[in-house]
Amino acid sequence: MHISFLIHNAYGIGGTIRTTYNLANTLTEQHDVEIVSVFRHRDEPVFDVDPKVRLRALVDIREGGADNGHADLERPAKVFPRAEGRFGQYSALTDRRMAEHLGAVDADVLVGTRPGLNVHMARQTRRGPVRVGQEHLTLDSHSPALRATLRGVYPRLDALTTTTEADARAYGSKMRLPGVQLLAVPNPVPAPGLDPADGTGKWVVAAGRLAPVKRYDLLVNAFDKVREERPDWRLRIYGGGKQKDKLRALIDKLGLYNHVYLMGPANPIEPEWAKGSIAAVTSSLESFGMTIVEAMRCGLPVVSTDCPHGPGEIIEDGVDGRLVKVGDVKAIADGLLELINDDDKRQRMAHAALTDSERFDPSRIAERYETLFGDLVARGGGSSVGRMRGSLHRTRGALLGGAYAVRDAGRSALKKGRTA
Amino acid sequence: MMTLAPQQPTHRDDEEDRAIPRTDCVADSAGGLTFDIADRGEPGPAHLVLFLRDSDQRVSLPLTPAGDGRLRAALPSGVDVPEGRWDAYLQVAGGEPSRLSPGLNDLRSLVDRAPTADRIAVRIPYGTKHGNLTIRSWERSPHAEAGALHIGDGELEVTVETYGTEPTPDAYAEFTDREESAPAVRAELTPGQGGFRCAVAYGALRPGTWDLWLRPRGENGPRVRIARLLDDIVDKHPVFVYPRTRVETDHGPLEAEPFYTADNDLSVRVGAVS
Repeated sequence: MHISFLIHNAYGIGGTIRTTYNLANTLTEQHDVEIVSVFRHRDEPVFDVDPKVRLRALVDIREGGADNGHADLERPAKVFPRAEGRFGQYSALTDRRMAEHLGAVDADVLVGTRPGLNVHMARQTRRGPVRVGQEHLTLDSHSPALRATLRGVYPRLDALTTTTEADARAYGSKMRLPGVQLLAVPNPVPAPGLDPADGTGKWVVAAGRLAPVKRYDLLVNAFDKVREERPDWRLRIYGGGKQKDKLRALIDKLGLYNHVYLMGPANPIEPEWAKGSIAAVTSSLESFGMTIVEAMRCGLPVVSTDCPHGPGEIIEDGVDGRLVKVGDVKAIADGLLELINDDDKRQRMAHAALTDSERFDPSRIAERYETLFGDLVARGGGSSVGRMRGSLHRTRGALLGGAYAVRDAGRSALKKGRTA
Repeated sequence: MMTLAPQQPTHRDDEEDRAIPRTDCVADSAGGLTFDIADRGEPGPAHLVLFLRDSDQRVSLPLTPAGDGRLRAALPSGVDVPEGRWDAYLQVAGGEPSRLSPGLNDLRSLVDRAPTADRIAVRIPYGTKHGNLTIRSWERSPHAEAGALHIGDGELEVTVETYGTEPTPDAYAEFTDREESAPAVRAELTPGQGGFRCAVAYGALRPGTWDLWLRPRGENGPRVRIARLLDDIVDKHPVFVYPRTRVETDHGPLEAEPFYTADNDLSVRVGAVS
């Protein structure tokens, strides 16, 4: 198959970018893969890209780049949805370049990697290619305005993937997506290029942006309790962000400056996990939980809050890690101490974490996408059927409004009709 | 200052050299390093060459096949690598050296190091802000390693472990004013858990920057800078951060805080209340 990814900026750093490269690098072993980046702001991508994967950009905004200073960059976008978080970076120029690209794209499968790009893909793709939208964030993290936009456009996709089952259920119950194949596919995480942690170091490790949603204040407070019982254990928090000064002040207030360290950002992160024996995640929300999988692949059992959406789908509580109550300092401290105080249990969970996290290997994840893509292409994907489905939906949408029960009945009827 | 662009060999800017070889480093607990890079099959002997910044010193390490298409070089702890920053280059046959970029730095054996040798050899590979591989080296004997710091009640207490010297009953710690405008301040050294302890009242330090030293044999013996070297963190300053304390002194209210210098030596900054 010829698979073409559409991404905001393949030259930046971020979870979606890394995930896309991991997937593309694996799919390219069997398929013809290209990554089309809307923007290019530097010469080379930060992450490794397989030389077989073709990488190109639609808008070159490098210093001295062909589009740097283009007047149309200042004119607001009309196709890219206004309610999307990145609307400000899109323009009349991106509208036009994407229309040219999608109107002529020579691919069997198109993969969009964020809502705004999925909208472009749904509206501007020529007849032929299968259109697969990826949602790396969650439905409930989208604003009502964005949800309304997506509700009108996503039915034209052939498939929509989420990173968790919980989010797939949310799309299934809250959006009208007749005939759109809805599938949860976790993010791929490759095996680290170094030996797993040996579990002897008395260090707890956490990694992520120092953002309010990560609730590192809870982790620092929990570690105050850990120190009372086990002053020989210490905590490293990797990452940068706006919460740094607040966390610094909290560490000083609690007198934890010999026990809790703000390490700053680390890339690659794998060698830092390997220095620890337990990983900690205290978020109030994790759309997937990439760091949990990364830590497990490095041989660390993870103590995580059981927050929506990812942790509970990654960690098997009591087997390869611990799920603890969200927002509860004592529960986090107890979870950490349970593994700190029991070397055997910690080692057992560490081994289980290594084994259980193999299911996130890019080869396994790529297989799931291959199956999805293959099925859709075999069905004729976004050809006349897809177009018809789009217009069908619009008609039905107008007739039925928000009547979910009827909508579900209509969906299964349509499916039957298509497979017949 | 720590990440100046390399001045020595000029970097060739042709297409071929764009693909900067990535280097994986593994540290052992004795202070040795091994370097792995992909074997690009170029003919002729290959070397990993370390250039000491602001100096003409270099250390050349042969790269030999290590299987799996990898070349490996070793820097054993016994090789003399004087204290400083060493920029890492790849040199194939007699060609121009090309700068190496960092890959995976596996430094787990440096975390919580407790060496048994008298001479301390520390080599920490790191990526500069320009994305190049550099090795930070320290070689000290004797050495005074700073451990936990405790700040309370207008006082700083420092835990120190010694290497290559055993404090005698005459031993003491010394705080010196970097501008040498104030006399040195002595602090008693007491044996305790995890090494020796010394404490100083911030009120005894005039505004300025004060460096911490150990005098293991009293005033007639060597003066050993108190530093934190025995872990995997190349630049302590942003990671080992301590509370700033307000103290009332004869010269009015002051603020004091301990910090690690660019060389990871321990100092105390005393200044007017901000």
